[in-house]
Amino acid sequence: MTERSRAKERVRALVRAARRIADPNDELGREARPLLVASTGLSPEGVELALAECLETHPSEDDLERLASSVTPASRAHVVLSASVFVAAHRAIALGLASSVSVFVKPSRRDPAMSHLLARAAPGLFRIVDQLDASPSDVVFAYGSDEALGAVRSALPDGVRFEPHGTGMGICVLELPPDVPGAELDRLARAVTSDVVPFDQFGCLSPRAVLVVGSEVETERFATSLAAALAEAELRVPRGRIPEDVGVAAARYRDAMTVAASVLPAGAGCVGVARDGGIAVIPPPGRNIHVARVVDVGRTVEMLRRWVTVFGVAGSAALSGQLAELAPEARRVRPGFMQRPAFDGPVDRRHKRQAPGELRHQPY
Amino acid sequence: MDLLRESDALHARVQALARAWDRRIAAPESFDAIATDIVRHQMRYIPGVRRLIEASARASLAPDMIPAVPVDAFRLARIAAHPPELDVVRFRTSGTTSGAPGVHAMRTTETYRALCLAMGRRALFSAWDGPAVVVALAPAPGATPTSSLGFMMAAFMDEFDGRALGGEGVFDVNAPERWLFGDDGVHLAGLRRAARIASERNEPFVVLATGFALVALLDALDGATLGEEAPTRTVVMSTGGLKGRTRTIEPSELTRATARAFGVPEAHVVGEYGMTELASQLYEGTLPGGALRSARNVYVAPPWLEVTPVDPATLAPVALGDVGIARFVDLGNVDFPLAILTEDLVRRRGDGIELVGRRQGAPLRGCSLAIEEMALSPGPVAS
Repeated sequence: MTERSRAKERVRALVRAARRIADPNDELGREARPLLVASTGLSPEGVELALAECLETHPSEDDLERLASSVTPASRAHVVLSASVFVAAHRAIALGLASSVSVFVKPSRRDPAMSHLLARAAPGLFRIVDQLDASPSDVVFAYGSDEALGAVRSALPDGVRFEPHGTGMGICVLELPPDVPGAELDRLARAVTSDVVPFDQFGCLSPRAVLVVGSEVETERFATSLAAALAEAELRVPRGRIPEDVGVAAARYRDAMTVAASVLPAGAGCVGVARDGGIAVIPPPGRNIHVARVVDVGRTVEMLRRWVTVFGVAGSAALSGQLAELAPEARRVRPGFMQRPAFDGPVDRRHKRQAPGELRHQPY
Repeated sequence: MDLLRESDALHARVQALARAWDRRIAAPESFDAIATDIVRHQMRYIPGVRRLIEASARASLAPDMIPAVPVDAFRLARIAAHPPELDVVRFRTSGTTSGAPGVHAMRTTETYRALCLAMGRRALFSAWDGPAVVVALAPAPGATPTSSLGFMMAAFMDEFDGRALGGEGVFDVNAPERWLFGDDGVHLAGLRRAARIASERNEPFVVLATGFALVALLDALDGATLGEEAPTRTVVMSTGGLKGRTRTIEPSELTRATARAFGVPEAHVVGEYGMTELASQLYEGTLPGGALRSARNVYVAPPWLEVTPVDPATLAPVALGDVGIARFVDLGNVDFPLAILTEDLVRRRGDGIELVGRRQGAPLRGCSLAIEEMALSPGPVAS
């Protein structure tokens, strides 16, 4: 058996563990649900949705091969997890297992449940640790904010390979021709909603803005349809607990957009609408989404690209090609599939980051 | 045009209020009376303000109840009662991480100038009679100023100095010998020369500076001082944070080092707090003999500006002595939203406001992004 085959076998063992957690008829699956609700803050329906639709339990052999080939073997692998998306622990640990037989997982303090559940379902496959203890020739897969990743990196000894996955988000780009049928707008709105709702938009695949290439009228029509779809989704999958500071930021976004443009209520969140063009702002998560008509999609995407993990694209091949050229590292899928990337490696393929723009000093 | 007639009348009332305060006579009318009429005016002519008030559960036209506009809104669109073609200046805010500025468009600068001068006189120019030599550690604003701070500094030079800096030439507010900081750093020789002129004239020497420029001055001095040239009646106005552009230095240390550099007591270094979104400023009242009195780091507002620390979540006023974010109601904002909500943390102390810091935006943890981090290009025209 080759090392690659052994690596894939370790990943398959982890997938089997995930399958037990996802299964509501498995004892562990039943136990997992309330634990995950308490740990994540998501509603019970939100946890169920994530387990059913976002936790990868049946990857293809091709995807497993790609996942295994996406990493470089290491003596030991360390996985430092963040709290944003609980199912992300599955893929992150899988990447660790693909690169080493010795895997150490440091869960998020705020959201440790999924890592512990996987460890219980696959005893001995990896170890849960409280502290990162990497040595030269180890690899560290780290997830979290750019600031947190910087802190992790600075504490590593020389010779450790560091694979950071930092701040990111999804963006939808829709080409809406004049007089696009209402049914088509509704279909697109439902698709975007199905990407917004999982994890209450706290994931790096969650769309936070929709850029509309089209007229003001179509922008407004789409925003209205999206607000209705989000409100309807709220009834099926209620939003969970939102940290107070995020709630404050959402209120500030809503008020700013009320003054500068317009806002539509959308369940527990809102849709900010900038139909006049030129406005691009990213609202805080918690099912708040910004719909902006853009005149120059290239310029807007150029400004956003360093944060974009995935594009949800509906439009011409030329548009998709333009996005591929502007942000080749970002995934591109149809709306409705942003939260379901193939199990073929890290969801976040960005490997080069631009430094934040230099601050200018001008007191007022 | 009703808009202009109403606006002009409101400007006149605000200026009258400032004039009365400047002359130390009774106010012609109350803060609330003017504020309520400005709100009515803005409800009529600023659709965004009307939408915000109508959307508020606490909707009321009372000045302490009207919803305040978050400063982020100004990075998203031009917000003003008047159309863009009537703009005489467009002051730009400092950029965010992405560099997107907000804009405060004015159709007249008369009220802004009058308010700056009335408050500046009390805070910086009231300790001694007569003219002063006024210079700035800032770039010259030019014919079309885009910095409200630069405009105010120029107004101070014009009002409290108004003469050529040496020789017998005519006063030129944009003369390079008055604006002593630029891309090439601090013009140390020019600053020494201006200080000598003030000493020779036996006049106060007033240096208007940003914190950033003062750090650059200290670096340029490299331990030396201006004590030989600067008169004992030197006042330094210090404003603005350092905003990540320079080496870190605590405000108290900056004050101490600045005072030492000019050879004056620390009380002669006077903090100013302002922002592009406001037409009014607050000052520390530390200058001995000055008309404004307060402790260090306690900023006093003029009577046409109300500052209320409010809870960031509920926006209700916090208990006396508690820290909240600053909510401003500025009568100088006749054509621009009257009530402004910032993320600056403040606490009421006596008759003033203590600056505590700046509230962090929405968390950046995990995959989240803060609105301030991501505010991009301002839109074209919206109202």
